[in-house]
Amino acid sequence: MTHLLYFDPGLGAMIIQAIVAAVAGVLLFSKNLLYKIKLFLGISKPNDDVFDDIDVKDSDIESKSNSDNQQ
Amino acid sequence: MKANQIVTTNNRHSSSFRDPSGFIFTDRGVIKRSISPLYFEQYNALKSSNFFKKLHNAGLLISHEELSVSSEEIIIQPEQISFMNYPYEWSFNQYKEAALLTLKIQKFALENGFSLKDASAFNVTFHKGKMVFIDTLSFDFYKENSPWRAYKQFISHFFGPLLLAKYNGLESLKLMNSFIDGVPIKMVSSMLPLKTKLNPFLYSNIHLLAKFEEKHNEDYKGVSKESNLSKKAQLNIIKGLYDFIKKMSLKTSSEWGNYYDKTNYANDAFDQKATIIDGWITQLEAKTVIDVGGNDGTFVRKIKHQLHEALVCDIDYNAVDANHNYVKTHKETYMLPFVFDVLNPSANIGFNNKERDSFLKRIKAYAPDVTMALAVIHHMTLSGNIPFEMSAEFFSSFSKHLIIEFPKRNDSWVQRLLNTKGEFKAHFDFYNIENFESSYSKYFTLVEKVAIDNSERVMYIYKSL
Repeated sequence: MTHLLYFDPGLGAMIIQAIVAAVAGVLLFSKNLLYKIKLFLGISKPNDDVFDDIDVKDSDIESKSNSDNQQ
Repeated sequence: MKANQIVTTNNRHSSSFRDPSGFIFTDRGVIKRSISPLYFEQYNALKSSNFFKKLHNAGLLISHEELSVSSEEIIIQPEQISFMNYPYEWSFNQYKEAALLTLKIQKFALENGFSLKDASAFNVTFHKGKMVFIDTLSFDFYKENSPWRAYKQFISHFFGPLLLAKYNGLESLKLMNSFIDGVPIKMVSSMLPLKTKLNPFLYSNIHLLAKFEEKHNEDYKGVSKESNLSKKAQLNIIKGLYDFIKKMSLKTSSEWGNYYDKTNYANDAFDQKATIIDGWITQLEAKTVIDVGGNDGTFVRKIKHQLHEALVCDIDYNAVDANHNYVKTHKETYMLPFVFDVLNPSANIGFNNKERDSFLKRIKAYAPDVTMALAVIHHMTLSGNIPFEMSAEFFSSFSKHLIIEFPKRNDSWVQRLLNTKGEFKAHFDFYNIENFESSYSKYFTLVEKVAIDNSERVMYIYKSL
């Protein structure tokens, strides 16, 4: 798929991702743990953010098919 | 198909050349997309697995209709975008929304065997009340254990500018105007405060990345070495960025954010102004308006007449953010907030100066039914030194009707602006209602004018000549 390599992804940026992922993994794990502890202690704050969670909800995918004109 | 091909190549959009998978063209004013055989395999897989459909339904990707299929090209027609807006015209939270959208799409793509091959901020635009991804051909097959090709692009297009905005001021978001392919990571790293180096997440994503990029730049001979990254690890990067960006917030308080609390308007005058505007807009049966200097959209929301779309722009990032927040919490779809400096509107940029259109080019094509300029003229004239004739010419160039508010010389705000001129105050003696009216009459015919009670302000509705 070399024809799709129309911009330089940066070699350094490709190699570094292993490190970035490891750091993110540790942070996600510890945050998750902290969240569970807070939840257990009943001190977790309600989410009043205007932005959703990262996951695309199944209900969003299935409904509103009128907006789509695919054949 | 031949005739079609001639049309497609001739009207190829001047911004559409980076990706060989296909290109955008205009056919009698309608934007269409031609897909090259290079991309047929991906396109068919995305289509048959309902990936496109799922993203369309979720409102994340602009929908499209397939018009024709041949062995040479597939032509699709996407839902048309009424007013393209660019990263350097977004407020902080709009920028955040675009970044989160891109990450959300990448995660969904990975889960479905695809991956975003680019993560340009120009692949996203604010449309019908939310950020939407508009580059249908940005998806490629996910290759097992391969890192995210667009990672660096994501950092330089989204994460870097957002961090600069947070730590170095919101105006940093304008850097994307100069760096059409993202703010250089080395520059982001050098500009961020030292404390960001102590945060392991920021250190790895920005500072270490900048170092790696520099190191490998030297011995890089154009041969791409294979590097491996598990899907789980890549998802950690995506989720980590998502969580971090979602939590990013600003501490700055706004100069204009609470503008309506400290203006020199009595409440009655405010309501009277709103009633006048509503009456005029209703009379004109306007479908589209642009409010130049529209703050957080307060006045546009006072219009009871149903508008199809309202572009509300302001120089103040916090006002645009407040408007954006209102749009999100009330799920409005007709309001389009963006950052705009009337003294320096976005220019044509990119290769041949044709990749991203200037504000003027876009607004002329959009041709709103009415332009609103409330409490703006004194700033243009006294802070920007724009003569009345030049502002009249500007306003008359893109819409038929202009609703403009003129604060007279005795208005407290005008006085304040005049006082800042010090010894040059006399040079602004021309600022009076007679000169305003005579200059504007060169470009407009007066339809009606109403003075607002108990204030030094007059409302005008003009029709361009």
